[in-house]
Amino acid sequence: MASVTFKNVWKYYGKTPAVKDLNIECPDGSFVSILGPSGCGKSSTMRMLAGLEHISAGDILFDGERINDLPPKDRDVAMVFENYALYPHKTVLENIANPLRLRSVDDDMIKARVDAAAKLLEIDHLLDRRPHELSGGQKQRVAIGRAIVREPRLFLFDEPIAHLDAKLRAHMRGEIKHLQRTLGTTMIYVTHDQLEALSMADYIAVMHDGELQQWGTPSEIFNKPVNAWVAGFVGEPAMNFVTCDLVGHNQEVFLRHENFEIPLLPDQVGKLNGAASAGTARMGVRPDALEISLTKPHQPSITGEVFVNELLGGDMLVEVLLDGSRIRVKTVPEFDGQPGDRCHITVNREKWHIFDAMDGHAYF
Amino acid sequence: MASLDVVHYDSPRMRILRFGAGIFLVLYLLWTLVPFFVMFVSSFKDLLAAFNLPEVGDWSGITLFFDFTPTFKHYVSLFVDNNFSTYIANSLMAAGGSAVISVIFGSLAAYSLSRVEFAGKADLFFWIISTRMAPVVAVMVPLYSIFRALDLVGTLPGLILAYTTFNLPFAIWILKGFFDNVPYAIEEAQMVDGSTRIQAFVSILPLVAPGIGAFVVLCILFAWNDFLFAAIIGSGGAKTLPVATRELVQPQNIQWGAIMAAGVVTTMPMILLGLVIRKYLVTGLTMGAVKE
Repeated sequence: MASVTFKNVWKYYGKTPAVKDLNIECPDGSFVSILGPSGCGKSSTMRMLAGLEHISAGDILFDGERINDLPPKDRDVAMVFENYALYPHKTVLENIANPLRLRSVDDDMIKARVDAAAKLLEIDHLLDRRPHELSGGQKQRVAIGRAIVREPRLFLFDEPIAHLDAKLRAHMRGEIKHLQRTLGTTMIYVTHDQLEALSMADYIAVMHDGELQQWGTPSEIFNKPVNAWVAGFVGEPAMNFVTCDLVGHNQEVFLRHENFEIPLLPDQVGKLNGAASAGTARMGVRPDALEISLTKPHQPSITGEVFVNELLGGDMLVEVLLDGSRIRVKTVPEFDGQPGDRCHITVNREKWHIFDAMDGHAYF
Repeated sequence: MASLDVVHYDSPRMRILRFGAGIFLVLYLLWTLVPFFVMFVSSFKDLLAAFNLPEVGDWSGITLFFDFTPTFKHYVSLFVDNNFSTYIANSLMAAGGSAVISVIFGSLAAYSLSRVEFAGKADLFFWIISTRMAPVVAVMVPLYSIFRALDLVGTLPGLILAYTTFNLPFAIWILKGFFDNVPYAIEEAQMVDGSTRIQAFVSILPLVAPGIGAFVVLCILFAWNDFLFAAIIGSGGAKTLPVATRELVQPQNIQWGAIMAAGVVTTMPMILLGLVIRKYLVTGLTMGAVKE
């Protein structure tokens, strides 16, 4: 077990920076997810941790000890690769035993440890098979088995379940989280799937274009995104953004758009820091913080036109056409608005966000 | 995967074509196999019997060809009077030695070219290949002069070095393709598991084994069948089978029986080798041709 610290870490490929000035502190025993789209630098970050890439600048510390110059074998980390990277010519048993063999552990010990790991992952009946005889989910378990067989200081999981089918992925999310809790080892888990990060991690580091956007617990990331990019990346269906004018009169500040004019809550006005004078802002609100109806409600609402309905089993997603944009609303399947119908949307103002129109940072 | 079953539409034209193809194949087989057969049979014949041939056009006289008492005297003369056991050993050492050296250096070089990015890599790789583009004869004279200056002419190490010069680029070229097909993640997993770079390299060798096998066979074939290098660089102290066989042709006396026996001794090991590893050779040469 170890705490992991990134201090001003940079990674360059030639002249292109892939990771820019990364500072992260992962507490001992925590489950940390690095979340971002492909090309955001999350895999480079992980490979620097494993020792597979040089650290261009800055330091990485395990338990306060600088590990920049240690080769992979001396870092005592275990990694699960996206494509599993099993040894195709070895049996499952030998694949899992490999890290122990390389450390000259004696045979009885190897047998005991491999059996324990295999039992934990429910692959003890597969030990004699070779990787090409296994399904994707089984290969993935073998790869995890190889990682957990030797109790490393740190687990590195690089999109381990990205290639599994949706059902198995949901199952494995729970399994991996449980495994980490059981073993108590610090885990760094790289993924591009925000659902995986939200559901599994203790802390999430959201990365974009090589820069850390936000560090926080899943609920902080989801409920208090620091900028429009994080807000738009996290959450499914994605957050709606509408560019509006900020207009103030009589101590109140209104969000004005061709389709609506809604006042901010009193405490939200203070958080604007006088940006009201800036004129425009981006309002962001998640589809489940909206309510739609065909009759005009009493409170201030957004008026639009139903564009299309998508039934998602237990919910219905309605896309509503505004002037110059569309917003998506989550509602009940019984909603009977037809495309072209006029509709009214009320906003749960506790849950909306205002982002700066220029740099996208969140006021609240 | 596409079906391997080709649909046939039988028409008179197709039938004639198929018949013609059959005839062609039979003739081709005769053309290829009869010399081997004659060589093999003649090596067991007394010289008189070997030249006891029917008249041209006399097909009933063909039985004359098989009418002989087998004798091993040519083989005895090869090994007792002509030192052929030494020549076999020379051939084996030259072919095997250059194969082993080429595999060791070739796999290391191919691995580096496959895995490491460095300036001028593409040029280096082309330069390695380009050494195989000139015909052997073109470099023979300078090579001879270099080898003579180093006192390597007529020695087994000299011959091994000469073969290695030509086999090594080939090894690098073939093996690089095989290393390219091994996912780098496997070595990375090895290194994270706790191995050094060299251990990681060794751990993936089983995955390129078909390539190494194919190369070793081709390398041995090249060295074993070579005459030019053996005659010029190996002449004297490192005489190999082809050169020794050639020396059985003397101005006053062409020793047909011994030549036939030497031919059998020279070709048999390679034919057997080919039969044994045929399956692996084909896998080795075609594996990686199509990305899975």
